[in-house]
Amino acid sequence: MPEVTKVPPVWTTGWTDILNTGTWRSATPGHQNRLSPCQTACPVGAEIAVWVKQAKEGQYQEAWLTLAANNPFPAVTGRVCHHPCEGSCNRGEYDAAVTINALEQFIADLALQEGWSLPAPADKRDMRVAVIGGGPAGLSCAYQLRMAGAEVTVFEAQPELGGVLRYGIPAYRLSKEIVAGEIKRLLAAGIKVQTNVKVDAQKLAELQKEYSAVCIAIGAPKAKLPPPFSGNEPGVLNGLQFLLDVNRAQVPELGQHVLVIGGGSVAMDVARTARRLGKEVQVMSLEDRQSMPAQEEEVLEAFEEGIVLLDGAMVQEKVKENNRFKLTCVKVTLDATAPAGVFKPIVQPGTEFNLVADTVIVAAGQDPELADFSASLPVNNNLLTVDANQNTGQAGIFACGDVASNERFVSMAIGAGKRAARRIEAFCLGRQPGDGAAAETEPVAYKEINTFYFPMTPRKEKEVLNPELRQQDFREVKLAFAASDAQTQAERCFSCGHCIQCDNCFYYCPDMAIIKDAMSEPSYSILDQYCKGCGLCVEECPRGVIVLKEVKR
Amino acid sequence: MTRMLLNGNHAAAHGVRLAHPKVVPVYPITPQTPILEKISEFQLQGLMDADLMTMESEHSAMAACITASLTGVRVFTATASQGLMLMHEMLHYASGAQAPIVMFNVNRTIGSPWGFWPDQTDSLSQRDTGWIQLYSESAQESLDTVLQAYRVAEKVLLPVMVMHEAFYVSHALEVVDIPEQEIADAYLPPFNPPHRLDPEIGESWGNVVDQDMYYRHRETLGKSMEAALETVVEADRRWQELTGRGYGITESYRCDGAELIIVTMGSMVGTAREAVDQLRNQGVPAGLLKIKLFRPFPLDQVRQILAGVPKVMVLDRNFAPGTGGFLHHELKSALYGLADGPAMHGYLAGVGGTNVSSDKIAGLAREAMDQDPAARSVWKG
Amino acid sequence: MINVALQIAEEKIFCSGHHACPGCNEALAFRYIMNTLGKDTIAVVPPSCGAIISGPQPLSSMRIPVYQTTLEASAASAAGIKRALKAQGKDHVQVVAIAGDGGTYDIGFQALSSAAERNEDIIYICMDNEGYMNTGAQKSSSTPYLAYTTSTPGGKPTAKKNVAEIMAAHRIPYMATATTGYLDDLANKVRKAKEIKGMRFIVILVPCLDGWGVADNEGAKVSRLAVQTGFFPLYEVENGTKYTLNHGSEGIPVAAYINRQKRFRHLAPEQVESIQQRVDADWEIFKTKFNS
Repeated sequence: MPEVTKVPPVWTTGWTDILNTGTWRSATPGHQNRLSPCQTACPVGAEIAVWVKQAKEGQYQEAWLTLAANNPFPAVTGRVCHHPCEGSCNRGEYDAAVTINALEQFIADLALQEGWSLPAPADKRDMRVAVIGGGPAGLSCAYQLRMAGAEVTVFEAQPELGGVLRYGIPAYRLSKEIVAGEIKRLLAAGIKVQTNVKVDAQKLAELQKEYSAVCIAIGAPKAKLPPPFSGNEPGVLNGLQFLLDVNRAQVPELGQHVLVIGGGSVAMDVARTARRLGKEVQVMSLEDRQSMPAQEEEVLEAFEEGIVLLDGAMVQEKVKENNRFKLTCVKVTLDATAPAGVFKPIVQPGTEFNLVADTVIVAAGQDPELADFSASLPVNNNLLTVDANQNTGQAGIFACGDVASNERFVSMAIGAGKRAARRIEAFCLGRQPGDGAAAETEPVAYKEINTFYFPMTPRKEKEVLNPELRQQDFREVKLAFAASDAQTQAERCFSCGHCIQCDNCFYYCPDMAIIKDAMSEPSYSILDQYCKGCGLCVEECPRGVIVLKEVKR
Repeated sequence: MTRMLLNGNHAAAHGVRLAHPKVVPVYPITPQTPILEKISEFQLQGLMDADLMTMESEHSAMAACITASLTGVRVFTATASQGLMLMHEMLHYASGAQAPIVMFNVNRTIGSPWGFWPDQTDSLSQRDTGWIQLYSESAQESLDTVLQAYRVAEKVLLPVMVMHEAFYVSHALEVVDIPEQEIADAYLPPFNPPHRLDPEIGESWGNVVDQDMYYRHRETLGKSMEAALETVVEADRRWQELTGRGYGITESYRCDGAELIIVTMGSMVGTAREAVDQLRNQGVPAGLLKIKLFRPFPLDQVRQILAGVPKVMVLDRNFAPGTGGFLHHELKSALYGLADGPAMHGYLAGVGGTNVSSDKIAGLAREAMDQDPAARSVWKG
Repeated sequence: MINVALQIAEEKIFCSGHHACPGCNEALAFRYIMNTLGKDTIAVVPPSCGAIISGPQPLSSMRIPVYQTTLEASAASAAGIKRALKAQGKDHVQVVAIAGDGGTYDIGFQALSSAAERNEDIIYICMDNEGYMNTGAQKSSSTPYLAYTTSTPGGKPTAKKNVAEIMAAHRIPYMATATTGYLDDLANKVRKAKEIKGMRFIVILVPCLDGWGVADNEGAKVSRLAVQTGFFPLYEVENGTKYTLNHGSEGIPVAAYINRQKRFRHLAPEQVESIQQRVDADWEIFKTKFNS
């Protein structure tokens, strides 16, 4: 302030902006992009808040590129992902979660329709990698490595790439054109493929010599057979094999009454596939309805299609009569004290009942086929043992997907493939792998969202085909969003932790201590001279982008 | 020039008309009301282009006067008694802001109890508010003084209050010469203050100050008040040049060789003039000193006039409990330390508007010449 | 989402470096009043927090002339400026008086009512923080029922004066209520007022962080709760008859508003309930004004 004795005592002619009210401050706000809970929950670590924001702005191609950076199969995951992102969506605590999965499908389908191609891979670097298995994990790994400049060859036992995407998941959930389209686009990036090649121990040893690194992603195709069923028994089918056959249009003889054993997604796929083949289908699951691993919507859709569920039950005895199974069943509860992944059914006496079935399809879980590798690699609990970086412990050999994990979701496999690729890249280039996960901070919490700025708007689900029509053939059950739906639903996103330049911080500052420069990153800066550290900008940021930090003097 | 029979209030209103104020916030109060009525009439007749604001109180009238003045236009208002009392806060505010407002106050008793009579206590009790105060004894003087007041106010940037007393002057008809507009225009330059509320200039008034800044504001205000005295003298002289009528800041009447000088203000001056004539005719060496300018007090002039005079008799038509007559009080203070200063009688005469005739004044003068003065003001009816 | 930015166009009149408390909502309101009215404006500010915010001589926080008047004289002072501007042929210059609730509801009400009756061509804005906050939180006639102030330590026994309805009853061209939690609405109302001739009155609820006992960062949030609970509906009245509701009660219990303020901390549950009943009853009466 000017010295008063030098100012004539007349009218006020100067301005307060020469004063330093910033010295009052005991805390300083700062803008920073923060993790959204959807991203934290996402198995592939997708920057969901970013691509939804791009979609909000109508920048669909940019949104797709953001999606594709972490996942080469957004049209696949846009259909079959179990979308834990939506479960963790902050908007879920307000009105209803954002329909992230449907938005992903919309954008990814658009990409296929428009023929958008992936960005060019990075310049070639000294990385030659063999990926064993062309399912979602292996292809994700191959893709990430190729994008990073590696030379990648995928070895696939089946005639075509895709694994469960092509041979497991039924077409009514995942159209085969979609799978083919995304694989084709992926291969255009320059990935070499050898199909009909089964890698055994000897081949593995060769690959190890020929390539700088090997990634095993052979999936888990071997059905578990709960008693009293055994392998190679007439009338008893392996669920995965059944799906493979149907996907290859080689439908086996089933009879009219089918019993599916299992409570997971594969069991649902099997049951609903059988239903589409015109069969009367019952599903028997050890778990009760609430704890079945299948996704809730799959179960509901199965009911709509006329499938009967016998939950909390198991087959005790089977008798083959007139080419049919007469089954004695009983209600059970599961011993909650059993270790994870181990089932200890407790029979409830007096609840026995009988069933008749022409065919029993067992879909009670799958294991990897590890006979060829167990001699040279660590195996535990029917899985290849890997660390958090998908490393088997043997130099240069990595594993990802169902072969190394019991979390049997397509997106988990894609995420694991990406993770493996990052470590393989570090391994090949001789870099010390950075600890990627640890650097992240806590995601933005719901209480950090200023919901005032978000009027309640209803969540729209993907439309579902009429159950009558569904049973007629294998057309897709869930229908993609129209562009208008995609827009309104994208606009529901809080963009947690991601500045969308709404200017609220700028407008809510009583001290005009925030200046805006859309060209810089972040787009706002704090004027030290004036900021009094009140935190109003933090409170009025709709999405938790501003953090108040104590000033140490 | 037009010659008319006018009461004091209407004469004052003519003075206002000639000054062409642009904004006139008014509020009625007896015995001032005829001033605002006449101005309203002038405005309706198109003789004035003033914007009349019919306020809800004298306080608001003064508030509006201050801001209109600070925005750069000439303003006027009139009041009396309780109205002036209600304005008290704003009187200080006006002088603090150095707003050159001209206000007419018709001196009237202040309550309680209620009364409507001539008594100068209302304005005299505002002597410390930073306003220049001029007391008039006639309708003609009131008209002339209003115009002089604008010239002074706008030169020194201080507000000016012009007084005459209830009924004796305000409602008494006298022959008044009304100058032509050209004379008034020649006398009053357009008002164009250097600092004003104007977005083109952007300056603000009244922001909070620290102690030093406040001190310096008051010091500056004091200097303006000091400068006002010479400005009043100049304004009167110039008016005399134009109209032949001048009043001075004081008037000495038959003071040569006087052994007693009567000192008073306002309507009492006319009566005292007659008493002096009467006394002189009877061989009593009495004189009269009229105080026209009460603020700033014409200290040097008064000391000069009263030096060597044996006795002074102050007549106060006003009363401050615990102090006595205001003029008595002022004079004692003014003459303090004067080596050959007079002995001074302070008489409270005519307080509340009681009748004080020339005979009575002559009688009081004779009494005063024979007696030693009391230190305090004495009640004399 | 609600986009505040789309609604606001600012002229840079209000300056940084002013002496409002950190997080002050009155300073925020000043920003949008001044920056919406623009450079052809003269402001009148009586003693209040606004007078402090206006800046110490020789520094002003506003790049327009500001005249600081006495507590009771804002409306008259503003009217005097406007009349003088008209006399000078500068009728395009807006005059705005910005006073607190003490200077509006209480001591300044006489001058305000008279200015409204004369339909003075001024904008009068009341920064209503429901008490004499600049002197340390004493009760005014705007203080709500049961609120603690240092002059009502047991809680104010009577209701808040409804100055909005009183001003509307003067049938002035424009009367509006606003608050800092709805900045776009606030700026819109100032802009609308600017385009109307005659007496315009806006009462802005500005939570006083210190006087109400509200966290530094929560002023706007609390002001929104005042609206959403029905304590302080945001509406406009044109010519005393045309009512428009902008934001009203969303049926949120008053406790949500009260619980964020220390001035209501002493209340027993039944007292909170009695406030709820009053707010509900007022809202029922209020709603009928919008039927015609």
